[in-house]
Amino acid sequence: MNLPRKEWAAALCALPASEVKHLANVLSGELEVRDVALPHAGLGLLNLRDGAFEESYFIGEIPVARAEVIVRSAGGMEERGGALIVDDRAQFARSIAILDAVMAGKLPGSVPAMTLVQRGMEVRQQKQIERKKLLTATRVDFSLLGQEDDEDEE
Amino acid sequence: MSYVAIKGGKAAIDGAASASEYLRSKGSLDEPLTLAMIEEQLRLLTSRVVSEGGLYHPRLAALALKQFQGDTLEAAFALRAYRSTKPRLLESPVQDTANMRCIRRISSAFKEVPGGQYLGATYDYALRLLQLDLANEDPAAFKAVAKSFLRDTPETELPDNFPKVIDSLRAEGLLPPVAPSRAAAFDITRDPLVFPVPRSAALATMARAETGGLLAMAYSNMRGYGDVHPTVAELRVGYLPVMLPHPVTGELMEAGEVLVTECEVVAMYEGTNGDELPTFTLGYGACFGHNEVKAISMAILDRALQKGMQDGPTNPSEDPEFVLLHVDGVDSMGFASHYKMPHYVTFQSDMDRLRTTQQKMQQKESEATT
Repeated sequence: MNLPRKEWAAALCALPASEVKHLANVLSGELEVRDVALPHAGLGLLNLRDGAFEESYFIGEIPVARAEVIVRSAGGMEERGGALIVDDRAQFARSIAILDAVMAGKLPGSVPAMTLVQRGMEVRQQKQIERKKLLTATRVDFSLLGQEDDEDEE
Repeated sequence: MSYVAIKGGKAAIDGAASASEYLRSKGSLDEPLTLAMIEEQLRLLTSRVVSEGGLYHPRLAALALKQFQGDTLEAAFALRAYRSTKPRLLESPVQDTANMRCIRRISSAFKEVPGGQYLGATYDYALRLLQLDLANEDPAAFKAVAKSFLRDTPETELPDNFPKVIDSLRAEGLLPPVAPSRAAAFDITRDPLVFPVPRSAALATMARAETGGLLAMAYSNMRGYGDVHPTVAELRVGYLPVMLPHPVTGELMEAGEVLVTECEVVAMYEGTNGDELPTFTLGYGACFGHNEVKAISMAILDRALQKGMQDGPTNPSEDPEFVLLHVDGVDSMGFASHYKMPHYVTFQSDMDRLRTTQQKMQQKESEATT
């Protein structure tokens, strides 16, 4: 299963950071990793469209971490990778950026990286299943209401 | 306000910090609270702090609650202080809450809404009776609760997100048309509120307002100092995917998600001066975390403020300056708390004036009697 690049970061964020960092560290030992810019963490202002008039406003701030790297294999293949995540761990973002480059360029290590992404997707899907169970268990069935006297309705 | 720098209090202040820590830990033979416990088991408390702190960081909100022993105002203050130390890296593209992954979605306007109604986790229908068995909860039984819920609830095919209820009203021509403002959203963290302010400033201010303060203002409108008379078109709670551009490709990607509560209220319809048909009016509220009272209060006040901005305020809840300058928890708590700080000089001055006035009056009385 080849997931589109835009879903990689979210999948990796669903896993324990230690797993992602571990694989990135292992691959960094085999590949040359250069930082395009130093990984950094800070805040982002979250811009929402209001549901009534569709005007934009800022609901508040979110932590964001960003990293951008160039990864080069021993065979001379090179790819740029990046990560921008809702998180405050800059090194975690760097690890994701390394895996992003490795997978985008199909560099050595892309297979275990993609396996990690797929596992992250499974974690996300499981979380979504659990959330949907909150809905399933509490769906309101108004069909019975229609058969009864509605005088009490407001 | 006049303060005076005083010496000699350092030991007492250090002692006060130690005393607070003593009270936090005394009598607790158990383990200290973990942040996960606070974040999960006191999720609604954590929600208050992330929204009032204006920073969606549930783990740090839990830490702040632990540090300040459950004081939401102080916890929100600490979160604001933390955010002030961090660099601003970006402003996100405009996010659409129609993408929210709902865990609760209700409407009090219609029984049948497109996609259905889901109560989710709520105490709305619970009896407010103490559940005494929680006082001595068995850890094994506690752990089994989540497992049995997931085991006993079937998996069903549900969409990832739901259409907005007000879209159908708008399609019928019962709501005012959308006229998106081209103006950039107002950043209340960088610019002061100078009235009149754009609606985006009002929404941002209320989104991080103190829940009780916002509720009090909205309640005044509900009770009669106003006439919004809202109907909740939709109240939804869910996880909003945050879409940010990929640093390399520029393509929007999901960078994370935030829990948000959002409410749209439909209010009394109003006529128009021209040939246009009358439509309902609308109010909107949203905040970080799960906090329904806050979102509903904000929606009511949004509508009240729109009316006040258009026609001039006829009651406090329609007055933007009155509402927006008095709902911030950190501001108002700070002002109230500052009265605890030494005011020795100002009070000494007050006493001097009072004594002088008394002396003058006594002198006059004695002169009159002699």
